[in-house]
Amino acid sequence: MREFQSLKFLSLFKGIFTRMGVDYAVMEKILRIKLTMDERRVPTIFAENGKKKKEGNQFLKSLWIYGLYSLILIPFLLLGENYIYQVSIVFGMILFILMTSMISDFSVVLLDVRDKNIIQTKPVDKKTIAAAKIVHIMIYMTFVAGAFTTIPFLVGLFRHGIVFSIIFFIELVLTILLVVVLTSLLYLFILRFFDGEKLKDIINYVQILLSVGVVVGYQVLIRSFEVVDLDMAYTFSWWHFLIPPLWYGAPFEVLLNGNSSNYFIAFTVLAVLIPLVAIYAYAKLMPSFERNLEKLLSDTKTRKKSINWLDEAGAKWLCRSKEERVFYRFAASMMKKEREFKLKVFPVLGMALFFPFLFIFTYSVDGGLEEISDGNMFMFIYFCNVIIPSVVFMLKFSAGYKGSWLFRAAPIERISAIHSGTLKAFFVKLYIPIFVFLSLVFIWIFSARILPDLAAVLLGGLLQTLITYKIANGSDLPFSISFEFAQESGGAKMMVLTLITGAFVGAHFLANAFHYGIYVYIAVLLVAMGIGWRMVFAETGAVPVQDTI
Amino acid sequence: MTRENDKVLSIQNLTMNYGGKQVLNGINLEVASGEIIGYIGPNGAGKSTTVKIMLGLIDDYQGKVMIFGQDIASGDPSYKKKIGYVPENAEAYDNLTAIEYLVFTGELYGMDRDAAQEKAERLLAQFELQEVGHSRLSSFSKGMKQKVLITASLLHDPDLLFWDEPLSGLDANSMMVIQEILAQLAAQGKTIFYSSHIMDLVEKISNRIVLLVKGEVVADSTFEELKEMSEEGSLSGIFNQLTGFTEHRNKAKDFVSIVQGDEEYA
Repeated sequence: MREFQSLKFLSLFKGIFTRMGVDYAVMEKILRIKLTMDERRVPTIFAENGKKKKEGNQFLKSLWIYGLYSLILIPFLLLGENYIYQVSIVFGMILFILMTSMISDFSVVLLDVRDKNIIQTKPVDKKTIAAAKIVHIMIYMTFVAGAFTTIPFLVGLFRHGIVFSIIFFIELVLTILLVVVLTSLLYLFILRFFDGEKLKDIINYVQILLSVGVVVGYQVLIRSFEVVDLDMAYTFSWWHFLIPPLWYGAPFEVLLNGNSSNYFIAFTVLAVLIPLVAIYAYAKLMPSFERNLEKLLSDTKTRKKSINWLDEAGAKWLCRSKEERVFYRFAASMMKKEREFKLKVFPVLGMALFFPFLFIFTYSVDGGLEEISDGNMFMFIYFCNVIIPSVVFMLKFSAGYKGSWLFRAAPIERISAIHSGTLKAFFVKLYIPIFVFLSLVFIWIFSARILPDLAAVLLGGLLQTLITYKIANGSDLPFSISFEFAQESGGAKMMVLTLITGAFVGAHFLANAFHYGIYVYIAVLLVAMGIGWRMVFAETGAVPVQDTI
Repeated sequence: MTRENDKVLSIQNLTMNYGGKQVLNGINLEVASGEIIGYIGPNGAGKSTTVKIMLGLIDDYQGKVMIFGQDIASGDPSYKKKIGYVPENAEAYDNLTAIEYLVFTGELYGMDRDAAQEKAERLLAQFELQEVGHSRLSSFSKGMKQKVLITASLLHDPDLLFWDEPLSGLDANSMMVIQEILAQLAAQGKTIFYSSHIMDLVEKISNRIVLLVKGEVVADSTFEELKEMSEEGSLSGIFNQLTGFTEHRNKAKDFVSIVQGDEEYA
């Protein structure tokens, strides 16, 4: 175990914690242990099995990507002094990044029930445990925020001067507090009213909804501001009080532009007050949060057996062998029930549903639907192919990955049946519903003339699924790896696989340049599909034993 | 049996309502120092709930729980200083090494870091685990991990022990060692609150047996007294009788015939 810089820095605030009744020494010990564990996210069994040993905090190593994302903020900082728009957009994005990171990466920390059995049974008071939990998350959120705002901060310093940076910094601290504490309060609220498995489901769906909602909200925010019109004057409406990014734009107007309209003052007050009130509420409610956390451990309700006829039909008609059918059903129910899988995948699916419309409506503000129905805008449906790599990649992960010994212990004749059954289930359960929904709406907008194009998109999707599976998952068995690996191993490979969609779009446009070209393209796709399927799912033998899990 | 001054634990009229269901139904229990209590009962009887209440993990109970003369509802966690706990599912921070985990728990109990480290190493050596002291718990077998957790519960020399299924995964030799440790600790005046499903063991180790059924104490006496009360000769027999379970033979017969029988699944 080593010393952590973050803890050294934290000790500067020792006085504050002590005054709040927190046992600082104990909290520091808990944090040191937590940080040590975070560095070792890779379980030892993996490290020992020949794969190269990965030490160090994988999360911190992935921070550079936030630095890259942050470049998008720079134009908004450079443009001018219309702070209520520019800074609101900047803080909108910061809130977005922090919120998504909080929900997807740190909900686990917040909802960790192990702490209860291990720490709360020791003579440590609840306040200290609660503080350790929130500070643990804060440390990481500070890293995320730091990575995302360092460059913009410097740009702001040079462009708008020192006062701007000071306000910026203070607001940043407030936003981190706001995000962490509001998320906790939200969970607290949910935990109050439900129990056991139901509760886990609800949290799961809230997480999914939130991450979709944040993306959608952010897109809408950007578009409603009409980036081109940055000069236009701001007009106040009462519902602006509900948009936190505006609160954080207002102080700049007040302090730098000397604009002391009542609503700007009110926004500024909200920006400061809400995080503080939230922290106060959190401190008050934390004991009941911990109490309700207990519910996560137990489930007393009995559930009825349910048969999904759709899954049965899919298994019956789409799978050739009994073995494949077994894995089709297995994968279908895993996709439906595995919460962590849903958490990682459903937001992406939501975006596939949302983005095509977003782009269509952004580009069609002037002419309306009539105008675009003759155009090429239906190609935005390719957004539902863009998501294929990130979803297919997730198929090999599971929270219950240890159960995959079953694949090896059971007398499975053809290993390819595991893969093909899973992939078919993915296509039918996750891809097709989105594709069908989008197609129906698109046919309504663009008329039935786009039917051949839709067929090409579908086939392209199938082919891309196949390619992705081969490259990203290789011979890894489905649902056989811990989610801890999901973050680190994606990266560049996923980026490239996502770009394949671009190749399909290009080919599609090329085909459309010729008369009946689309039919040739469909034929080519069909042939490629046939060959590809046979190559990827060749009749290989049983599960290789030496394979490392 | 219980004198007022060496009363370690006292539970008065403890009830607990969980989601509209009565989990504990007025439990009364007085425990003196030096007792080894076998706390037994069928699944869902409320054993773990009682232990969790005493450890302060659950605080919305009704009734009064006093430990070392302190009402635990006061919110002051200091009474836990002299308690050692082995959780039932071998829960631990698996990414830590055995020594790190032990030192951490020791520190939480207020021990000095170096003292905790030294003691941890010496105790692990007694279990012949000194070689793996710096390996992560995630690489440990169930029995090894259980030994670490048992060590963790004893590191700070507590006066009261709560052990929930402490022997799961241990081999016969280790079980004998633990059994002997328990006896010697009790002789030193430590109190041990012990729950297990292995009746033979409870019969051997405990000097007092508390049987819980549906949130109520249905028996509370020594094994010998229990034997006199019932016609069964073994604790598992008494257990079956008191929990009203008599059809194990028929159940087993049906089960095996299903395993062998049905042609439609063959």
